[in-house]
Amino acid sequence: MKICIFEDDKYKLLYPLSLTRPVFDLKCGYFTLRERISGNFSEDICYLLRDYLVPFAQKKLPKAVFNDPDFLKSDDILFINGRWLLGKGELCLEGEEEVGVYNDTILYVRTKKETIQSHFSSQFKFKTLLFSLNQIEQKLPHKEFNNVTLITYPWDLVNNNSKILCEDFEYTGKKGIQGSFSPQAAIYGDESKIFIAKSAQIHPFVVLDTTEGPIYIDEEAVIYPHTRIEGPSYIGKATHIFQANIKQGVSLGPICRVGGEVEESIIHGFSNKFHTGFLGHSYVGEWVNLGAMSTTSDIKNDFSSVQVYIEGELRDSKQIKVGSFIGDHSKIGIGCLLNTGTVVGVGAIVVPSGEVLPKFIPSFVWYLKGKFYKGYGFGKIIEGTKEQMKRRNMEMSEEEYELLREVFELTKEERNQLIAKSRR
Amino acid sequence: MPVREKVKKIVAKVLRVPEEKIREENRFVQDLGAESIDSVELMAAFEAEFNIEIPPEEGERVQTVGEAIRYIENKLKEKEEK
Repeated sequence: MKICIFEDDKYKLLYPLSLTRPVFDLKCGYFTLRERISGNFSEDICYLLRDYLVPFAQKKLPKAVFNDPDFLKSDDILFINGRWLLGKGELCLEGEEEVGVYNDTILYVRTKKETIQSHFSSQFKFKTLLFSLNQIEQKLPHKEFNNVTLITYPWDLVNNNSKILCEDFEYTGKKGIQGSFSPQAAIYGDESKIFIAKSAQIHPFVVLDTTEGPIYIDEEAVIYPHTRIEGPSYIGKATHIFQANIKQGVSLGPICRVGGEVEESIIHGFSNKFHTGFLGHSYVGEWVNLGAMSTTSDIKNDFSSVQVYIEGELRDSKQIKVGSFIGDHSKIGIGCLLNTGTVVGVGAIVVPSGEVLPKFIPSFVWYLKGKFYKGYGFGKIIEGTKEQMKRRNMEMSEEEYELLREVFELTKEERNQLIAKSRR
Repeated sequence: MPVREKVKKIVAKVLRVPEEKIREENRFVQDLGAESIDSVELMAAFEAEFNIEIPPEEGERVQTVGEAIRYIENKLKEKEEK
């Protein structure tokens, strides 16, 4: 038996976060959805994802197998939906050929080699492979599930984060203070709900509050003075926290610089929110910069449910608390006020206008003085991004450049529409 | 109104400089104090006023008021010839 973790056709509901990564590389708790699924099995794994994502995914995981029909035809396969927030032992490897279904969505397809061989061609294209999988699905018996967590919208990741952070703390089984812990720092609550890795540093006048959940501080993380961290939370590798108020349900890093107030939010690697300002119920991609005093609203004045821009229209999230969703490489200038449920695409440059920002800012656009502009175009944004990466001793690979170029093309229409509207 | 006059009016409005003080040899950044975000606004204003498309890499090469006037005149000529 082998495993295949696949993206289904709902990936657009997770834009802008899934514009630059497969849905299973989104994070919740300490891990990505992919790490969570693969941690359940020791079998070989193949990934099924949109074609334009493959070269960069391959660059990041050189030994992994992507969109390979020969791999799929070589053994019995357990296909697993990459949006499934899979718990430990929740899915059994062995069993009859069947399809697990939740709310009309495929959770998994367990198939025999012969079934795959009779349905899959030798085409390496994502859509062809997904089509073949859907054909198999129609022929196998279905088993309905009621109580699973499938990530459909960006806020699903945020809303599940606290619960998953608690589970992950138990799962890793690490406890205790291994790193440096200043005598002037304090733990408020149960000390057994803390793990501080060997190379992490806790400076004086830091309070770690475990009364509501565990705190995990990973290798090389540094918590600077006058910071309070509430559990459940996860401070990722080499992340630095400055005079911050980190509330429950926060996952940060690796290599983030974070200050100010953060609550119920997930921030991917290499992103900075160095200064004062509130980030709540939000999901932030890689290499994002949130300027000083930039602040998200995560609840409306009338406590009504929040509308979020999804697939070209505002949709009711049916949630009272929703923050912002910010794609990779976007730069949010000082003092920006992000409205409740704001979506910012990939590589956007946002300059404050003194007013609350619009609910949707497309990828690679310049937003300034209340209008959308094309700015200096793709090349200049990439130049800035490369400079930012150099500051962390990183270099943009050709594969990532091509990925961003593809995202620039994919998002052209929505960007041009708003630029044209701004001219009127 | 000739291109020259229109360009000067736009520059004066976007960069908040008295129109009569604008000379063709003035450099947007060094002489007129244009920040990067002003230049983005200027390019968009020229595009809207003259109904032309300015590719960002071409816009970046335009450094002075005179260069902007000549660039726009050429663009309009190209458009007419089409």
